Amino acid sequence: MSQTITAAHSAAIDALHTAYLAALDKGDMAAWASTFAADNARYFCISAENDHRGLPLALMYDDCRGRIDDRVSFVTKVWVGTYEPYRTRHFIQRLSCEAAGNNQYRLTSGFTIMMSAEGGTTAVLTSGEYRDLIEIQGDGDKFRAVFRERRAVYDADVLPRYIVFPF
Amino acid sequence: MSSQCTGNYTGKAPAVWPAKVNQIPKEVFGDAALFEEELKTIFYGDCWHIVGHFAEVPNVGDFKTFDLGRVPLLISRGKNNQVRVFYNTCTHRGNQLEVATSGNRKEFECPYHRWLFSLEGALTACPGSKEFAPDFKQENFGLMEVKSAQFMGLIFVTMGKNTPPLTEWLGEIVPPTLSTLLGGDGRLKLLGYQKVRYDSNWKGYNDNDGYHAPMLHTAFRLLNWQGGTTGFQRMTKNGHVVFEAELKAIQNNGFVNDPSLVEFKGSDPARGSRIVQLFPATVMVKHLDIINLRFAIARSHDVTEVHYAYFAHEDDSEELVQHRIRQGSNLLGPCGMISMEDAAIFQRIHIGNQTPGFAEFQKGVTSLMEVPMDVKQNDETGNLPRWEHYRKVMGFKREGEK
Repeated sequence: MSQTITAAHSAAIDALHTAYLAALDKGDMAAWASTFAADNARYFCISAENDHRGLPLALMYDDCRGRIDDRVSFVTKVWVGTYEPYRTRHFIQRLSCEAAGNNQYRLTSGFTIMMSAEGGTTAVLTSGEYRDLIEIQGDGDKFRAVFRERRAVYDADVLPRYIVFPF
Repeated sequence: MSSQCTGNYTGKAPAVWPAKVNQIPKEVFGDAALFEEELKTIFYGDCWHIVGHFAEVPNVGDFKTFDLGRVPLLISRGKNNQVRVFYNTCTHRGNQLEVATSGNRKEFECPYHRWLFSLEGALTACPGSKEFAPDFKQENFGLMEVKSAQFMGLIFVTMGKNTPPLTEWLGEIVPPTLSTLLGGDGRLKLLGYQKVRYDSNWKGYNDNDGYHAPMLHTAFRLLNWQGGTTGFQRMTKNGHVVFEAELKAIQNNGFVNDPSLVEFKGSDPARGSRIVQLFPATVMVKHLDIINLRFAIARSHDVTEVHYAYFAHEDDSEELVQHRIRQGSNLLGPCGMISMEDAAIFQRIHIGNQTPGFAEFQKGVTSLMEVPMDVKQNDETGNLPRWEHYRKVMGFKREGEK
């Protein structure tokens, strides 16, 4: 881990990760979107197969802030009543953290997502790696970390079900 | 009819196939023994099956593995640029030859006894062959090739002995729509995959993928997205369905923050939506600027795996390629704004199909005794000729039929 990160920034980054996981595990899409920078942010969810082969197509391809907000609408307005509900539990382990200048850090973390279908058992949805560009915003004692970019690269060559929520 | 497979199913389910043409017995979705018969009669029988497109293996040495039912296939582009399909097994003791889903090789090597095969399937090395059986001849042990044919780069295979030629199998109404769906000439560029398993019988998947009434899709209403009325739906007697519809541009009513996602950049100005559904299990879609081939694998009576493969055209501008990537990633597929709902239906309908009774078709039914061949754009009766073909192929007798 890079020595240039301060304890305060590290804590802010931990808080961001926690907020992200808590939002998804509660199914709170608005809270999920609020972990991204308000002005300019990107979220991608892509298979490791596509990623390794340099194939750009993703499962979710939100390359601007508007698309992130539209994904919230997909889940909360468009798809309501059609899909079989499921809950998730996300677990992450930080793998690397490097300063990228301008109060930004590049991080990688391993993730595991457990899923519990309503009326069903708990199973692994997939595992994977988050590749993040995180920015510390604000100054003095008041600052927070936000995602400029989160790229969730999932391990499963074949997903075990259709997907409603971001990874 | 020569373009039909023929079966002689003598199993128990369904007890009775109803005389009314708009009723499908739900028993055909949940029967493991019937699935074994379907493998023999349809998937390993006298039918053509789509297993890939040339654009997935663009360079010499590129390969892709795929399954037809439970049979592992190895699709390889040889040195003469010819694409061949082999059984993915060493000709020695039967070990699975290639384990990767795709890649590029100079040759294929079986690790068990180091038998080596060329990209064209010839056995080029087999250590210790001096001590092999007296009748061993190296030239007789090349990879087993599966009979294949292509249409604009689409790779079809068949394991049947009496499969009609591909042109006959496709018939007259499929090629025009399929050509335009494939960019006019099939010169495609692979953009990537979305792969998923559905807890659904392959027939339930196929019956509800492709075109269906737009009522399921809330997005169409929220976006005030109107389909045109000049489209058509045509079927062949051997179970294919071809659909074309006009898509009007959406009027941005403020529902989406990023309307560029649903923009139509006019890669095919005459029609917005084209769907070609080939018996038994393949659905191909050109929707807005998306070119999406869905390679389906019938894994069991309960599980269907679908590889959604997305393409651009070789001549596309960079801007159009980028647009196709955004649209393909976000609109169709197992998490797409439109198709996630379809995916939910595949699984829910499979659960519902475990109950007694029939799947009932209503919209567009004008006769209970005659399978409709002339249907309107929004009729659900477009599925019935495929069911009739399936019934005959599998040898199910209708109630009252001798």
